[in-house]
Amino acid sequence: MAKTDDRSDYLTDAEQAESRSALNTKPRYWEHRGNRNNMWRLFNFVLLAAGSLLILSPLWWMFATSLKTMGEVMSYPPSFFPESWEWTNYIRAWQAAPFTTYTINTITITTLVVIGSVLANSFIAYGFAKIPFRGKGIWFAIVLSTMMIPGFVTLIPQYVLFANLGWVNTYYPLIVPHFFGSAFYIFLLRQFYMTIPTELIEAAKIEGASHFYIWWKIGLPLTKPALATVAIFSFNGAWNDFLGPLLYLNDENLYTLQLGLAVFKGQLSTQWNYLMAGSLLVLLPVILLFFFFQKYFIQGINLSSGGK
Amino acid sequence: MKKLRMPLLVLTSTTLMLSACAGFQTNNSSEEETNEEGKTVVDFWSFWGSELRRPVIDKIVADFNASQDEIEVKHTYSPWGDIWTKELAAIAAGNPPDVVINDINATAIRGKENQAMNLSEFMDDSFSEKFYPELWNATLYEGDSYGIPFNTDTRVLFYNTDAFEEAGLDPEDPPSTWAELEEYAAKLDVKNGDDYDRLGFYPLWGVGYDVWLLNANGENYFGEDNNVDNVNINTETNAEVLNWLKSWRDRIGEDVVNSYQAQIDSQQGNPFFSGDLAMLVQQPTFYTQISEYAEDLNFGVAPLPEYEPGNGHTSWGGGFVAEIPEGSSDPEAAWAFIEYLTGAEAQEYWAVQNFDNVANIEAAEAAAENDELSEEGQMVYQMAVESMENTLLTPAPVEAPGFYNYINPHVDEFFLGSMTAEEALAQAQADVEDLIQKNQ
Repeated sequence: MAKTDDRSDYLTDAEQAESRSALNTKPRYWEHRGNRNNMWRLFNFVLLAAGSLLILSPLWWMFATSLKTMGEVMSYPPSFFPESWEWTNYIRAWQAAPFTTYTINTITITTLVVIGSVLANSFIAYGFAKIPFRGKGIWFAIVLSTMMIPGFVTLIPQYVLFANLGWVNTYYPLIVPHFFGSAFYIFLLRQFYMTIPTELIEAAKIEGASHFYIWWKIGLPLTKPALATVAIFSFNGAWNDFLGPLLYLNDENLYTLQLGLAVFKGQLSTQWNYLMAGSLLVLLPVILLFFFFQKYFIQGINLSSGGK
Repeated sequence: MKKLRMPLLVLTSTTLMLSACAGFQTNNSSEEETNEEGKTVVDFWSFWGSELRRPVIDKIVADFNASQDEIEVKHTYSPWGDIWTKELAAIAAGNPPDVVINDINATAIRGKENQAMNLSEFMDDSFSEKFYPELWNATLYEGDSYGIPFNTDTRVLFYNTDAFEEAGLDPEDPPSTWAELEEYAAKLDVKNGDDYDRLGFYPLWGVGYDVWLLNANGENYFGEDNNVDNVNINTETNAEVLNWLKSWRDRIGEDVVNSYQAQIDSQQGNPFFSGDLAMLVQQPTFYTQISEYAEDLNFGVAPLPEYEPGNGHTSWGGGFVAEIPEGSSDPEAAWAFIEYLTGAEAQEYWAVQNFDNVANIEAAEAAAENDELSEEGQMVYQMAVESMENTLLTPAPVEAPGFYNYINPHVDEFFLGSMTAEEALAQAQADVEDLIQKNQ
């Protein structure tokens, strides 16, 4: 709904008319009419287009490299457009390692991670936001403090823990932790839950609903935008995860796409054309995701930077 | 609550379904290391996953598996570089693989840190004679070997013979001293205003400054026996070498150096292939790239020029060892495989198929004459074998792990012009001495 002019409440009609005409005589800088207006728009357009081209140029370089022969990749000076468009690079890259298996594996892991992240974090955040309990502040501080520990510090202890559970060479270490919440998402969702009026929760409680039911029926639907953000972030995280699969998976049949891409990078040489072809294919779902959920991506950035 | 049941049911059933998949089957019994046929399973990790290398190592593994009926080696590829992070975690957790390919230069340190097993008990005294002594010595910690050399490398000078002829130089007589190198480079330069149509040579493409220091000194910073009692970083010769290297940079110009450097480093585009660069120091395996991307290039290959006549064509190398991580479930079986992997037959196969330098002397010499290599290939391989005799490794002494990280920043400052060579070397010397003191 458009904002109403608050001043209309206390200004007389005459005063309002005056203030409007005063505004009209001095158009704002974006309100230039006619040629100047068009010029301005053209200028903006060109500027934005140039900026976009600049930002997209690495992607173009990736795409162009993916279609070159290795001979052309190696040639000097480098060419901006491929000489011959080697679409077979995509097929050969895909066949250089069992990428179909890797895709299925990656989708399996990613799906479960997203489900886990969305449900668990939302559940925990609901608790922190809406259920009063003793020592809540301290517990929340402890949860947040886990964000301060760099991942590399806990790497080996975590590995040893999972090894003792017999989980090495399975997907469990990559998935199960996501069913136990992560500080960043909990914080993000808690902030969102805080905006839901407590009256709503209390009303449901009077009707006899349990917290679990309230979370499921009221909490989840109302926090959809924030959940979408969590889903997108955790999808990206799981899809692009390299270190986790590297450490925990020993059987090549269980490998993920990110490990597969490393095949093209060797000690002495890199198969740039295949690497780029493979990377583009692996990147595709992320790009598609961005196009479909652009709104939530940007919202997510706003949410996480605290400037909602 | 009724409505909750459906999603929960779906979730539970998916979980059950997934737990049937391979990625969800836990392996709690502390890995029984035999397969269905009762053979001992040896877990072998390497970083050889490329189109070129994978088939070669897989063939060697298959040959070994077929050669006897007690052991089955299972080869797993892990990404280059990251494989060792993975290995370290596995060693810490007590379930490492049985054989891993690892960097030769830190073998002693892994021995000291109990990451790799002492292999001395498996071999007799003559075993070491199969390998280049320089490589063998790099695997020793307190006299015992902690890894068996597998492959190695050296640095040689590739030069464009057509460019030599154009410049009136004899392609059969490549530069053999630093002075000649400068003289040849100047003759090979073709200048076009501030730019170059062809550049003769630049010493820091393909190798670092340390290779030239090694070449001039004939030994590494810690003397012949790699002893930290004498740290020879801040020496007159070293200062002279650094200044010599910088003089090239000053002569050719920062911009030209950087634009060529970017390409050589990124491995995308190589001015040597297009004839824009006449001489380049590289590993012998560089030949595989020439034959693939610049078939028509006429080139020769020579030892690294010597500092002064008679000083010796000392070159620099590295390499990899096959080792048994501490905690391996069956070291005996692992050793049987390592013995095969580093034996003459497997090594020659690896050398010829990959055009790679191998550590086994007999295999290396046989490879240089192997008919499967082209005439050019044999020429390069022969040079590689000759260069191996003058090739030194720079393994980190156990008291100075990662010592390069203490020298490089100062040398960088020298090349950037914020320090003199003497100042940079003095600071590097002090930092490395500090490091040694901390580790003693």
